[in-house]
Amino acid sequence: MKKINIQDWFLDKGWTPQRFQKATWQAYLAGKSGLLNAPTGSGKTYAIWGGVLQRQLDIGQLPKKTNVLWITPLRALGVEIQQTTELLTKAFFPTLSVGLRTGDTPQSERVKQKRQPPFGLVTTPESLHLLISNKGHQHFFENLHTVVVDEWHELMGSKRGVQVELALSYLKSFLPNLQVWGISATIGNLDLAQQILLGRPTENQILVQSTQKKKIEVVSLFPKEMETFPWSGHLGIHLLEQVTEIIRTHPSTLLFTNTRAQCEIWYQKLLEKAPELAGQLAMHHGSIDKINRLWVEDALRQHRLKAVICTSSLDLGVDFSPVSACVQIGSPKGVGRFLQRAGRSGHQPQKGSKIYFLPTHAIELIESLALQKAIKENTIEDRLPYLNSFDVLVQFLMTLAVGDGFMPKPCFEIVKNTFCFQTLTLQQWQWLLNFIQKGSQSLENYDEYKKTYVDDAGKICVASRSIAMRHRLNIGTIMSDASLLVKYLKGGKIGTIEEWFVSKLKTGDVFTFAGRNLELVRIQAMEVLVRKSKSKNTKIPAWMGGRMSFSAHLSQMLRATFFAPETSNTPEWKALRPLLDRQRQLSMLPETNQFLIETFTTKEGHHAVFYPFEGRAVHEAMAAIIAYRYSLLYPISFTLAYNDYGYELLSDQPIDIEALIDNNLLTTKDLIDDLRKSINLAEMARRKFRDIAVIAGLVFQGYPQKTLKSKHLQSSAQLFFEVFKDYEPDNLLYLQAVAESFDHGMEQGRLQQAFERIEQQEICWKKAAQPTPFSFPLITDRLREKLSSETVEDRIKKMYVQLEKQLQ
Amino acid sequence: MIVEIHHEVLELSPTGALYWPANKALFIADAHIGKVMHFRKNGIALPTEVRFSFYEKIAHLLTQFEVATLYFLGDLFHSDHNSEWVDFCRWANQQAFKKVLIEGNHDILPKTRFEQAGLEVYTALDLAPFYLSHHPIEATAPKINLCGHLHPGVRLKGLGGQYLKAPCFYKKPHQLILPAFGGFTGMYIIKPTAEDQVYVLGESAVIAVNKMKK
Repeated sequence: MKKINIQDWFLDKGWTPQRFQKATWQAYLAGKSGLLNAPTGSGKTYAIWGGVLQRQLDIGQLPKKTNVLWITPLRALGVEIQQTTELLTKAFFPTLSVGLRTGDTPQSERVKQKRQPPFGLVTTPESLHLLISNKGHQHFFENLHTVVVDEWHELMGSKRGVQVELALSYLKSFLPNLQVWGISATIGNLDLAQQILLGRPTENQILVQSTQKKKIEVVSLFPKEMETFPWSGHLGIHLLEQVTEIIRTHPSTLLFTNTRAQCEIWYQKLLEKAPELAGQLAMHHGSIDKINRLWVEDALRQHRLKAVICTSSLDLGVDFSPVSACVQIGSPKGVGRFLQRAGRSGHQPQKGSKIYFLPTHAIELIESLALQKAIKENTIEDRLPYLNSFDVLVQFLMTLAVGDGFMPKPCFEIVKNTFCFQTLTLQQWQWLLNFIQKGSQSLENYDEYKKTYVDDAGKICVASRSIAMRHRLNIGTIMSDASLLVKYLKGGKIGTIEEWFVSKLKTGDVFTFAGRNLELVRIQAMEVLVRKSKSKNTKIPAWMGGRMSFSAHLSQMLRATFFAPETSNTPEWKALRPLLDRQRQLSMLPETNQFLIETFTTKEGHHAVFYPFEGRAVHEAMAAIIAYRYSLLYPISFTLAYNDYGYELLSDQPIDIEALIDNNLLTTKDLIDDLRKSINLAEMARRKFRDIAVIAGLVFQGYPQKTLKSKHLQSSAQLFFEVFKDYEPDNLLYLQAVAESFDHGMEQGRLQQAFERIEQQEICWKKAAQPTPFSFPLITDRLREKLSSETVEDRIKKMYVQLEKQLQ
Repeated sequence: MIVEIHHEVLELSPTGALYWPANKALFIADAHIGKVMHFRKNGIALPTEVRFSFYEKIAHLLTQFEVATLYFLGDLFHSDHNSEWVDFCRWANQQAFKKVLIEGNHDILPKTRFEQAGLEVYTALDLAPFYLSHHPIEATAPKINLCGHLHPGVRLKGLGGQYLKAPCFYKKPHQLILPAFGGFTGMYIIKPTAEDQVYVLGESAVIAVNKMKK
């Protein structure tokens, strides 16, 4: 075989390799591991895969078995990567292939991969764990020399990042020379991202950064008449005309929405407003069937579409040449996300990107200013890694037990070597082993707990085939709400939909999905059967996950913007003037050194609204603490609402702000202790526990398709939570739920700072005659927490049950 | 809480049990004994202590009421045999009163097992003016159907955005559905109509709640 140089080959094809690509090849060939910081669409796949191929060319021999693993967070991305890398591979080695191994891979393909392992294998974290749950997997991986982790910035902030950490540490235990390469977009804590993936910095690892940087221009959209601008958040439809105009005047436009429901509605409204766009307008979100999504991506690549309305489903990976304009509908809730979306526009790098910001309510205009400020100062938020995710560890230990079994002692070292479990104590480790061996009980005479057994050599192995099978099914279902396939009665898939939405529909109900009006015919097995409907009266699925909190950076920017006089000449402030005047008239506009509290009464009850401008996560905790402290003064029940600007306590009794101030309820004293005691923490922990119970294998979601019965094994995570709370409060999974509510949900340090800031401020209490502009988004929020110091009986006595309408 | 249903006085206990003083009869639905161990046998680590909640609750009831017959309205035992059945038999054989089981869909143990525990087993039972079954039966009028199976719970609303979910007794014109008695059972949120009445379980009392039209 003649010596080929990959760089020459690229030049031959008329492609000039970029500096970061050459740097990556060089480092890779020197045997280093690394983190490649490059934006989507910059040629990062070639940067890594070029090195992989050059290495193979240098060796000269054809490789055996699987040499390279490519881990991606999304199945859809996997297809793309597999095609690109295989095409490139075939140019040099016609007999080598790259396989794809995800939840969508058919059984026949899996068998083939086992018999004839492909040179490269593109997979997801879950599917990698499934491979580890196979017997003889160490043999399968014996020639593996490189693992690539794509979109690491996405993975590291999730529990799937922990899955990757564990898998890498495990692979390294029998493949000591394994090279690991991560690919990440720019985040605030890139150094930490590198350390988590590659371990402590050594000479044998490198950070490669592509230097491309685009100029980004942000343009806010306003309604022609500011008076019609809604105070409370909605869908932004009032700006439909401006958006239609943008689509008309640009060759191609991407519209980003925050929820799938918003995506559906905008699609419909745009078609109504501009029917000539039919055929040139498409929708892209995570629930739409894969084939349709791939079609949209392809059409985007070939410039066949004029506009695409999407959710974060197009944030990641998917490569297509940039569009001419981007529109962000509603707050993007983070600088990084906003930049990533803006980066989708701008044909020529030197020309920069343009993104239109469409506020869904007036106060979001301030957010637009904050975003512009953040972009100017280049402050991008951090991604917080998970620590001590015992649920993922329990799952991983079972994965090993299902595979070839594991010896506890060396396994402890493997686990300790990850960033996530670096502080794991021997005691916690013993608890975990006991949990999977004895179900966390110690002195039980005739307990029948069965999950694992210890073999003669001391290896922990799975106890039965049915437990192994259930475990394998469980790995695949990590953290997704059960979703059902939407299909036409006569056949033809449309997409998937979350079970909880379907459960609200009755036969005959019409709902909008993937831009179509569909009538529910029936639900059978895991399929929702529908037929087309002409009815106008439809429901729009409101998917979960629509609520994100401001990142710490953005709320800091928001505060800075709100109180910054230099921004008051911008078009945004000018547009806001009528609203601010109204706010001043009904209540006041706080200054930097003032903390505003408003009270007023509506037919819903008595409202108290607080405005710290600290971001939703902090407000959530603050509201819980204040409500808890107040409830110690009087027996009272509250419901709580919060957004990025403030929070609201609502009660059926008047809220005495004087008592609140006199009793110093805004103190920083006993902050964390009070938070722990507030019912809100239990509520948050309960929510966190849902995922934990699924991941740790407590909640069995049933077998896919109906072939096997789950034999009385179904129960909800909520019930488990209650039982652990009452009977086993030292259970590590229960404690993890509490810890996660703290660390990830509310970021203790920020909470402390927020209370300290308030201590320095002058408290301004305004009794308003009616709801103020600032309060509007809060009081109209229907998703609420509750906190009460009344007895259950007292509360029940004040309540009522709402009757269903009688039939006939 | 004491209620009168078709001229019979009945006491509703916040444990979810129902007592009929005239007959010294205690009714319990959906105890789901054995559920904890069934889960554990299948590798799902529920704390074993949960299984004592049945005995604690029933011991308390027996100090409160004089019981001649204990009626289980189905789903007494959660699944196939496990060690919790041994516990239950030991307890059952120590009780002097009569024990009756109306079979539920979960009661898949062989009938002989139930008889070993001293239980009389029926698929349904006429106990005028009541008619006992596990599944709710529609047409038992004029008799009142006492049953379980549903695990009824209700969602209550209040001012100030307050709401609360709690298990309840669900009374329809000719039917009274009991809440689940077991410690590790979920609930099904019912949607009552104007002719129905719900009695909600508080911590230490049962409360008849107000109704409001939509």
